[in-house]
Amino acid sequence: MKKFSFLFIALASILAFTLAGCSNDNPSSVSGAKGDSGKDKTNIELWHSLSGDNGKNFEKIVDEFNKQSDDVHVKAVYQGGYTDTITKIRAVGDKEVPALLQASGTNRKYLAESDFVKPMQDFIDDEKFDTSGIEENVLNRYTIDDKLYSMPFSSSNAIMLYNKDMFKEVGLDPESAPATYEDIEVASKKIKDKTGNVGFSFATIGWYFEELLANQGELYLDQDNGFSGKPTKTLVNEEGGQKIFKWLDKMNKVGTFKNYGSNYEDPRAPFLAGQLAMYLDSSANVRTMVDQAPFEVGTAPLPVPKGVEPNGATVGGNSMYITNKLSDEEQQAAWEFIKYTVSPKVQAEWAAATGYFPVTKDANGESALTEAYDKYPQMKTAVEVNSNTPATPEMSGPLSDEGEQFRTIIEAAQEQVYEGTDPKKALDDAAKKIDELLE
Amino acid sequence: MKKKIIIYILLIVSAFLLFAPILYAISASFMSPKDIYAGKLFPSEFNFDAYREVMDSIPLLHFLWVSFVMSFMAMVGQLVLSSLSAYAFVFIPFKGRNLIFFLFLSTMLIPWEATIIPNFLTILHLNWLNTYQGLTFPFFALPFGIFLLRQHFMTLPKELWESAQVDGCSRLRFFFKFALPLSKSSLSALAVYGFLTTWNKYLWPLLVTNDDSVRPVQIGLKMLIAQEGSSQWNMVMAAVVMILLPTLLLLFIGIKYIREGLTAGAVKG
Repeated sequence: MKKFSFLFIALASILAFTLAGCSNDNPSSVSGAKGDSGKDKTNIELWHSLSGDNGKNFEKIVDEFNKQSDDVHVKAVYQGGYTDTITKIRAVGDKEVPALLQASGTNRKYLAESDFVKPMQDFIDDEKFDTSGIEENVLNRYTIDDKLYSMPFSSSNAIMLYNKDMFKEVGLDPESAPATYEDIEVASKKIKDKTGNVGFSFATIGWYFEELLANQGELYLDQDNGFSGKPTKTLVNEEGGQKIFKWLDKMNKVGTFKNYGSNYEDPRAPFLAGQLAMYLDSSANVRTMVDQAPFEVGTAPLPVPKGVEPNGATVGGNSMYITNKLSDEEQQAAWEFIKYTVSPKVQAEWAAATGYFPVTKDANGESALTEAYDKYPQMKTAVEVNSNTPATPEMSGPLSDEGEQFRTIIEAAQEQVYEGTDPKKALDDAAKKIDELLE
Repeated sequence: MKKKIIIYILLIVSAFLLFAPILYAISASFMSPKDIYAGKLFPSEFNFDAYREVMDSIPLLHFLWVSFVMSFMAMVGQLVLSSLSAYAFVFIPFKGRNLIFFLFLSTMLIPWEATIIPNFLTILHLNWLNTYQGLTFPFFALPFGIFLLRQHFMTLPKELWESAQVDGCSRLRFFFKFALPLSKSSLSALAVYGFLTTWNKYLWPLLVTNDDSVRPVQIGLKMLIAQEGSSQWNMVMAAVVMILLPTLLLLFIGIKYIREGLTAGAVKG
């Protein structure tokens, strides 16, 4: 009995102790966080969402920057996925904002309109920084009302991966992948008849729909995808979108298409296991897939409906923002880091290590990258598609702060189609929902 | 006898089914990425590469330590606050006692996510970001704990309380000498529950910390999972296995108490 009350008092006093200790604790922990960095350098934080191997490679770049810079020290802090990071920066308000923020392109409209971002254009104009070295269509995606709000850092697009060995096995030409929806249908039929495998798939992620639509040169929203004014209406259920949905429905019904799920990872496992012949993936993942696959992997541009010219692909990936709440000194420090990240050398290293393609044109000549391309020629497809993509609103993706919700709506519509809903009805309903969001 | 055998076979099968994901996680942690993608159930050759790589890529042991401190603090806080307030609700008569108790209970209806922003702002203005108290304080007041202990305290015989009072036992003395020792099972159940739920927290620690030195292991786990690219699942699984071990241990030790605690007072009102 005595033991028990002793235990309780002990626990309570631990609690009281931590309570009392906390107020003194705080300053030391903050300075402790900065303690490992340089003495006279300007310390800034960078919030990012890169995890896994990409996270490790990114930290390497930050470390190299810190080593070579005499007056800036950047501390990279992982803040969860892209959405988590946005949630967090919304919550912190004026306090504790980082100098640099990395975000996905989907959030570019929201961030540009937010009150904590300083347009990148201001820094560029102040210093007459030359942006002509950066891929035009990548810049175009992040330029809103003639102002660049963030500096692109990594870019990727969607491409098609296919199993060359399986193509050979069923008598298809492994060197020329099907380029149209109709060709994919035919090839898939052949694969299904001869091997019983699934011909084609992609994860139910709204981004792929955007890519397929853009490749046809179609708009997602009116007002030039929102680039020339506030969009009032979506165009997803026009002919271009209908073609995609009808095609998916047709292939799904005959069993040559299979829906594996709504994560990037989902179609990869069956593909690597040799149960799926073709699928769409982010170009950022090509290198890993080539490494993992026990067969030869081929890459090809996204397909188009028959009779339509392929236009290319919109750019995915992320870009960096500088916040406006911190001192000028810290903002300048952030700008130093930004300039470093778009230098050809860094872009080449980053692209070679990850599979993103460089946003800086000159990076393509760097030896780090050419060596990687020699070893993984499959990585070149995405770069070629990107350099042939015109810098037009169609190819810059829908610009709206509701971008994430649009994707959710399209994903739901796609799932309905896989379960048997009429494709036209599913897409019209989705369009109606998007229109409601635009009002 | 025959019936017993059938029941046991069924139990073993369902136990195996329930445990299968964890068994697979253990198996996958020894595989190479190729084995995993090929859909194998067992590694073609055992290797500890994944464990070594995890240790190299994130400070896992440190994360485990932070998780432990955080969960322990939350557990202690919950035990102290819940037992004291439950004691007040049962043994100290005051006006509006039931009303306040039900008010407490009704907060269980508010999802945690709805209060996350106000809680965050409080922590922010207290300057408690990146501290253990910031990580744990919002979890101290636990209506479920108050409810659990109140129900248990109510089962203590009224006579005990009355005779203690006749003998001149103070309230605090009664709390320490009778109420707490007689509720060991409920307290242990609450302790295990508090520890495990805090251990599994992800969003809150992510919000209130900006520094790896005060981040728990669930964030470390998320760091291993790639956003667009492929995750190395053998590494993720190795990390999961290592994170599971302490919780499993605690569960094995505590399961007896949880069972006793949660059903205590269920029969008698």
